[in-house]
Amino acid sequence: MATLTCGPRQIRYQLDGPADGPAYVLVNGLTQYIKVWESFRDALVAKGYRVATFDLLGQGESDKPSLFIEQDDQVAVLRDIVAELGQRPVFLAGISFGGVIALRYAIAHGDTIAGLVPMSAFAELTPQLFLLGNAMRTGLILGGTNYLQDLLFPMNLSDAYLSERLDKLENAKRKAWLINDLYALQNLMESFLDFAPLTAQLSSIRVPTMILNGEFDFLTPRKLHESLRAHIPDSALVIIPRVYHAFAIEKPVLAADLLARFATDVLAGRWQGKGRVWIAPEEAGGEIIPFPVGYDHLRALPLSPPMPGAAKDREAPPS
Amino acid sequence: MSAFLGPLDRDGRIPAQQQTRVASFLMSAHGAQARQLAAALPGRLRYGWQVELHSQYSRELEILSLLTRATSWVVDPRLVFLAWQWEAAWLPKPVAGTADGMQGLLIDLAAFGHALHSVIRPAALLPEGVAAADPFVLAMRRIEFESGRLLQAQIVFLKGPQLAAVRDVVAAAVERRHAQVRELWTSMLRGIDVGTE
Repeated sequence: MATLTCGPRQIRYQLDGPADGPAYVLVNGLTQYIKVWESFRDALVAKGYRVATFDLLGQGESDKPSLFIEQDDQVAVLRDIVAELGQRPVFLAGISFGGVIALRYAIAHGDTIAGLVPMSAFAELTPQLFLLGNAMRTGLILGGTNYLQDLLFPMNLSDAYLSERLDKLENAKRKAWLINDLYALQNLMESFLDFAPLTAQLSSIRVPTMILNGEFDFLTPRKLHESLRAHIPDSALVIIPRVYHAFAIEKPVLAADLLARFATDVLAGRWQGKGRVWIAPEEAGGEIIPFPVGYDHLRALPLSPPMPGAAKDREAPPS
Repeated sequence: MSAFLGPLDRDGRIPAQQQTRVASFLMSAHGAQARQLAAALPGRLRYGWQVELHSQYSRELEILSLLTRATSWVVDPRLVFLAWQWEAAWLPKPVAGTADGMQGLLIDLAAFGHALHSVIRPAALLPEGVAAADPFVLAMRRIEFESGRLLQAQIVFLKGPQLAAVRDVVAAAVERRHAQVRELWTSMLRGIDVGTE
């Protein structure tokens, strides 16, 4: 692992994969740290990508400002990481909190990247997300990092994943608890206290964008990803079946495969976002299929999208 | 040098010499915080925020009492020198560049409390396999857990609107206290063969 000096701060980062060729920069979620990307990163490296992982300010082994961390400071760090990769196509992917930082980066410095992948991300704090965020902050304050993790594991990972790892959760929690400091996590959360929606600025993102959303993500549900799809001009939304918010942890090989296919298409000039909606395969290498025509991708029920005047024309249910 | 306390004895307990050094450091720092809070507390509470101050004071006393009783104490001659060094560091140092001396003093008091409750993580020193029900182990866990809550009063004050005009001064003061507390904490731990960095 190496250290990058960004202004007065030290950032821990890691570069893996071939020295030449295209690169991906992966931006952590709130409680994440470099090692959590391991399987995801290895899968991308195996496909020939240079991969940069790093701890944001306030995370893991990077400097942890004592009182204030601005999201713009994170964007400045990201700029230095991207610059560290030199002259090559650089793709940027961020998950959750990291997805917001990646969106901010693409708005401010879109000319330095070849493509963008927001994963489980959002551009605005809806009432649900605002209240959930507040509840998580209160949980952190009253119950500590362990309690926050106790909430996040079942919220963000599927039964299928958890049932095979229940005996290893304490070990995973301990590692994250050791490396993350409560005050620093709280500072990261409080960088949202004066959060202004990014929605109006999304149209300035001109790079190809693939938006990834877990089918069952209820922390950042479909509606938030739909907002990204609707406002980022060259974007497509890809729904990943049977997973929740932390699909990059649960299905690292599949997610890495989607990122590699996206970058390949962009570099070959084949990518056409056009606001399309797709369904990812359940395993890497499978077929990505269009969302069925005639159904509403914002609903869990297989219903048609609302048409003008449809409500009053709809037949009364049988009595 | 290990990142954790130990090696543990065969009952999974932390060596008494390490317990003594760690507890002495914590008692010095939390004792200083308790004294400063006591000096700031009026005999009769008149404002709502003074209730929080009183709560903080009581919690600090609880920590001191807990450490006194949960630690396996042994004679440690180096404490004579170390205690002077620690106590000198905790002395109030009013922050310059504020509206008045009292504000500067309060910022320093809160900055010290912030550093004490955030930089020092005694439970993170406990190795796997430690005796979970040992009083010293439970004390370390409790102090770290309570620190996360005690920290909130300092955060509310230091990030509050009343200090918005001197935000950079506040941030610099907190960073200074963080660096000071971290340096003394890691130095103390190095003295008992524990490396946290």
